Amino acid sequence: MAHKPPSRVELLRGTLDLLILRTLLPGPSHGHAIAKHIQRTSDDLLKVETGSLYPALYRLEANGWVAASWELSEKGKRARYYRITPKGRKQLASEQSKWDAFARAMGLLLKPLGEEGR
Amino acid sequence: MTPLFRKLVWWMRRRRKEDELREELEFHLANEADEREVDGLAHDQARWAAHRDLGNVTLLREDTRRLWTWTPVEQLAQDLRYAVWMMFKHPTFTALAALSLALGIGANTAIFSLVNATLLQRLPVDDRERLVYVHRARVGGVFSYPLYQALRDGSHVFEGLAAWAGVTLSLNADNTTDLVDGAIVTGNFFDVLGIRASEGRLLAPSDDVTVRAHPVAVISHDLWQTRFGGRADIVGRDIRLNGHAFTIVGVTPAAFPGPQLGTARQVYAPMMMQAILRPSGTGEQNPDLLADRRRRTDGARGPTPSWLFGLGRLNPGITLDQARAELGTLATNYERTFDPSDPPELVALVPLDQGDPRERQQLQSVALLLGGVAAAVLLIACANIANLLLARTASRRREFSVRLAVGASRARLMRQLLTESVLLSTIGGVIGLGFAWVVVLSFQAAPPPPGALPLAIEFSIDQRVLLFSVVLSFVTGIVFGIVPALKASRPNLVPALKDVSAEIDERRRWFSTQKTLVVAEVALSMLLLIPAGLFVRSLQAARSIDPGIDVEKLVAVPLNINVLRYTTAKGREFYRQVVERVERLPGVEAASVARVPVMSGTGRVSGLMVEGRQGYSEEFVFGAGPGVVSADPTQINTNVVGPGFFATLGIPLIIGRDFSEQDAQGGPRVVIVTETTMKRDFSGKNPVGQRVSFGGQEGPWREIVGVVRDSKYAALGEAALAVAYLPLAQNHQPGMTLYVRTSIPPASVIGSLRRELQAIEPNLPVADIRTMTSTIGASLYASRMGAWLLSVFGGLALLLAAIGIYGVLSFSISRRTREMGIRLALGADTRNVFWLVVRDGMMLVVVGIIIGVTGGLIGAQWLSSFLYGIPTTDVATFAAMTGALAAVALAACVIPARRAMRVNPITALRYE
Repeated sequence: MAHKPPSRVELLRGTLDLLILRTLLPGPSHGHAIAKHIQRTSDDLLKVETGSLYPALYRLEANGWVAASWELSEKGKRARYYRITPKGRKQLASEQSKWDAFARAMGLLLKPLGEEGR
Repeated sequence: MTPLFRKLVWWMRRRRKEDELREELEFHLANEADEREVDGLAHDQARWAAHRDLGNVTLLREDTRRLWTWTPVEQLAQDLRYAVWMMFKHPTFTALAALSLALGIGANTAIFSLVNATLLQRLPVDDRERLVYVHRARVGGVFSYPLYQALRDGSHVFEGLAAWAGVTLSLNADNTTDLVDGAIVTGNFFDVLGIRASEGRLLAPSDDVTVRAHPVAVISHDLWQTRFGGRADIVGRDIRLNGHAFTIVGVTPAAFPGPQLGTARQVYAPMMMQAILRPSGTGEQNPDLLADRRRRTDGARGPTPSWLFGLGRLNPGITLDQARAELGTLATNYERTFDPSDPPELVALVPLDQGDPRERQQLQSVALLLGGVAAAVLLIACANIANLLLARTASRRREFSVRLAVGASRARLMRQLLTESVLLSTIGGVIGLGFAWVVVLSFQAAPPPPGALPLAIEFSIDQRVLLFSVVLSFVTGIVFGIVPALKASRPNLVPALKDVSAEIDERRRWFSTQKTLVVAEVALSMLLLIPAGLFVRSLQAARSIDPGIDVEKLVAVPLNINVLRYTTAKGREFYRQVVERVERLPGVEAASVARVPVMSGTGRVSGLMVEGRQGYSEEFVFGAGPGVVSADPTQINTNVVGPGFFATLGIPLIIGRDFSEQDAQGGPRVVIVTETTMKRDFSGKNPVGQRVSFGGQEGPWREIVGVVRDSKYAALGEAALAVAYLPLAQNHQPGMTLYVRTSIPPASVIGSLRRELQAIEPNLPVADIRTMTSTIGASLYASRMGAWLLSVFGGLALLLAAIGIYGVLSFSISRRTREMGIRLALGADTRNVFWLVVRDGMMLVVVGIIIGVTGGLIGAQWLSSFLYGIPTTDVATFAAMTGALAAVALAACVIPARRAMRVNPITALRYE
């Protein structure tokens, strides 16, 4: 069995869309690769429920943020490749700035106790 | 592309999207498995690991599919298809369930259609919140015209205050005379109500200015249609009211029955014409009712008669309390201008929608009773079907477990089960609506005889009734479906999948949903059987009552000469002539007249004073209305009768003599009393020669000349009453009723009677000639209908309860086949097994009966006003109904018990 990371963090609601869009920024990719990429780049700390990935992809497509097409994979099999659309980039930008603000705020609020009043 | 548009496109390509998703997931699994294989897992293990990692694929697909499907709609369609399939698979269950629901929903819908057509009816007027009935707290709620004027002119709380009085009019048009209910109204009446004419115009204040100068009338839409055939030239037509020429100026809207629900008013005429519109007691000039007593032209002293009801439209923002306070002060001040010692006046204001006459309130309690009974029948049907469904879900346990195991959510499963039950109840509702429709049609085909009910009742099916039955069907489906659905969607997965029947926990449990439902059914049926039994017994009691007259030979004809405005002399001559000429008709043995029609539900009450005895009542009530009879020992019921009345009706004289020629006008005043009067007021001693007064100490005193046997006075069901009969010659009255005793079947003289009366007085409206048999039939109509309806409902309840008991026992036997087999194999007597089952069933029945009888004892008290001659705790009824229920329940137990007895131990043990 593959090694298990000590603890995995559950994804926050709504952040999966952001992660998928960010993953697709460099170039088109298929579902399995997206899942692997998210897991790998987060040092395996994030546990992506693969089950929720596909509904999310279809939802993004329905919103027009990604476009999908069937292409041949690196292994020569037919795979569904997702590509971020201009509308998706705009969405990513706005979501990212929201996330940044949120993360900064959380960081400030959760500063270690000793740092306060310095 | 908007998301919605995309969704539509995807929906159209949903097959391809499904395929794409499947292929994509397969690709994912293959890739994942490959990777894990690279990590060193065996091929199979790698595939499983990939699957596990992906999670519940069905759920995932369903989640994704939501993007191109309208899931709820599609699932509903799916559920419906499945439900229909299930229904066809179990045709007996479906038919039984749908039929019992149809009966329950049909009964409720029929009752609702009655409530809807009668009780939920509202007067169609503008701005109804501001309309109030204005009653005086004293003197029967009525005002005198001068007092009305004082209130109208003095108050600031009303936008308008109108007054009206109901009146019976003779309407003559096209040479035909009819008696119609009309109203004398002030000129602002229709403005205050805020209704508009459907033809011509309604009355206006300008129609009500000068006494006797406004011969104009407004007729109802109904009268226009039925009496005048809806002809277009109705406005401007001349008619005669009480023999005086009037011109029709307009027609009221179709939906407007009159100022009060319950009595439809057909003709409206201005207040200034009241002198010729009001019936005249003696034919002489009616007293001037419009002027106050300082200015009375007729010279009569005493208070101005009060006879008008008030109807007001409050100014916006005025509360009832404000209005009441102001009107009370005004009324008191007005009355004290005549007599400063008058007690303060109180004025009551009743909002339009609460001002129901007493008859409507009676109908409300009847509707409540019937509605409650119908609801109970439906509840029993629900309990029954819930039970059958529970049994069925138990056998479908495996199906549900499999579906839950492969990822169906519990909500999804419940939705499916509820779809099944709602579909069932909808079918029941549709058939039930058909039943209700048949009831309505048959009621319309055979309406109650006139006068049988205190109020015209109506059934009709309109949109509101349809909506009611739709909502009721839906709710019913949820009610009986929810418990089985909850239980079914929560099975114990492992044993269910292994197909181990849950027999172990079915056995020997004191409390289970099914048993509770059976107990509830039995209790409810008991509750329905008790009133049914009481009503039937009460009807029997009423039928065996001896009315004290020769019912079979009598015909009654109301002689409404008061609308003809005869003088006293002419009236006397008229009655004399009628009796004389009618007695000469073939088939007629005798004829006479009476002021109070026998057993018509009406009566007259006087205070009674016996000479030389202390204590009497000064109250004199001239009553007309159901139940206006008195059993008060200081009061007596009276009737004024013509010569030969007792002989005509077949009431035997016990002591003394009948009225005779010598009891003429101006002679010594005489009276004949009933046996009960003799017992009550003269300690049973011969009262002939004693004197009584109905007017207090001042008299006039009347000598008792005879005693007659008791006969029914106002109603068949009444206890024997004290009644005094006065001779017509000494007490002339208009509006007598003619009684004819025949030697041939009474119905066969009706035609010749009518012709003879028309020949004597062509202007006399002759309507409503009835035989005494039909009068009694009518007076029993309500109890007969009640007994019949309640028996039907009770029988239905009994049948449903029996089905319920049978169903539950059969089911429990089928689940206990093995247990029975073992018992028999180990040597149990078949009789033991039989009693085991019967005992199980009857235990539930006994508990149900105890609850039902307890409830019945409490609930039946409420029925006392509906019952004749038996107490609400009538032992015979309770015993008979308990016995009937127990017998039927026993039969329902015996059938499954016999089956249990015949279980073949070998088959039973091999089974499973």
